[in-house]
Amino acid sequence: MGSEGLIAGQVQELRRGTVVLACLALLEKPQYGYALLETLTAADVNVDGNTLYPLLRRLEKQGLLTSEWNTDESRPRKFYRVSPAGQRARADLVREWNNLVAAMAVITREDL
Amino acid sequence: MTTLIERYVQEVVRRVPADQRDDIAAELKGTIADTVDARQSTVSSDAAEREVLTEMGDPARLAARYTDRPSVLIGPGLYPAYTRLLAMLLTVVLPVVVVVGAAVEVLDGGDAGAAIGGAVTTIITVGGQMVAWLTLVFAAVERWAPGTKLGTWTPDQLPPMRAPDDKRSDAVAHIAWHTLLIGLLVWQSTAGSVSTDSGERIALLDPALWNGWMWPILVGLGGLVVVGVLRLAARRWTTGLVAAAVVAELVFAAPLAWILYQQQFFNPVFVADVTVHDDFYTLATIGVVAVAAYEIVARLRTLRP
Repeated sequence: MGSEGLIAGQVQELRRGTVVLACLALLEKPQYGYALLETLTAADVNVDGNTLYPLLRRLEKQGLLTSEWNTDESRPRKFYRVSPAGQRARADLVREWNNLVAAMAVITREDL
Repeated sequence: MTTLIERYVQEVVRRVPADQRDDIAAELKGTIADTVDARQSTVSSDAAEREVLTEMGDPARLAARYTDRPSVLIGPGLYPAYTRLLAMLLTVVLPVVVVVGAAVEVLDGGDAGAAIGGAVTTIITVGGQMVAWLTLVFAAVERWAPGTKLGTWTPDQLPPMRAPDDKRSDAVAHIAWHTLLIGLLVWQSTAGSVSTDSGERIALLDPALWNGWMWPILVGLGGLVVVGVLRLAARRWTTGLVAAAVVAELVFAAPLAWILYQQQFFNPVFVADVTVHDDFYTLATIGVVAVAAYEIVARLRTLRP
């Protein structure tokens, strides 16, 4: 593996945990799987469908998301939305994220 | 909805629990259809379908993600215990089983060939069973009790510091040499190692030796091999190992020197064809005694502080 491949792998590691936080944040407004994937991609949070769709179901099983089938349109879609427990989890994760950013800013300060 | 997508969804949902099947199938179909629709502006419908399904990947893997099932046979929690047990079975238990099996064969009156054949069969069948069953048990634990960790590790389990073994290759060479000698002695007798003038295959050494001196020679050589293996395991010469090596060397070399000196070494049928000069016996006897003396002195010198 070249150094570029190595760095790409590290970047992927760094981003892995951010998908859950992004989902909990974006699903304040109900969305179905593919639309959420589009929103995430547009926001530069890259995740594959085969990772995101099982993840949504897992978060629902953990009680962080609720879901509802919308059959108004010709194609029925399952809409996910963050639950009260999910909102609490999101607040915790946001706090953790801010701590990390502050800590990393100190550690990686150029003039250190 | 085309059959390709339906076939894919079917392959995914048949691997998830029955109560979730319909829900996952409906959602997956919708999601794949949404993705295909978005791509159709650039490529044909069929190509878009293939592309999307390729990106979703192996249905078995996707199903494993839906069910949170591990996609590994033996996970990191069990792996150290698995390799440790497997190594123990194959390096300790299997050799014991093989040696006991060979001993039983010999005691039953089987010859060396039958014992060796039995040993090879035992290694393959029993060794294969050990690997198969151990893997099966660990895979079952991983499958039905994922996240299990076998045994907690503590620093007490660390082995003591190993002394550097700078004479290791020397010890291996000795084992190889003595094993080769045993093999040659058995082979020249059973396979018929030389041809007479009349074309008959005969043993090089006097077959009468098998009623007497050949046995201490073989026992001595076997003892030297065992001592060599123990020396490798101990990584140094201990007093006991040196004593055993000296005894084994004497048990092996003294009868060999004696039969050479007595000129009872070669098969009489062979000597009838070929003239063996008296000097050969004298030189060979001196050679055997000299090598044995050198080996014994070398062993004893290792005990010097």
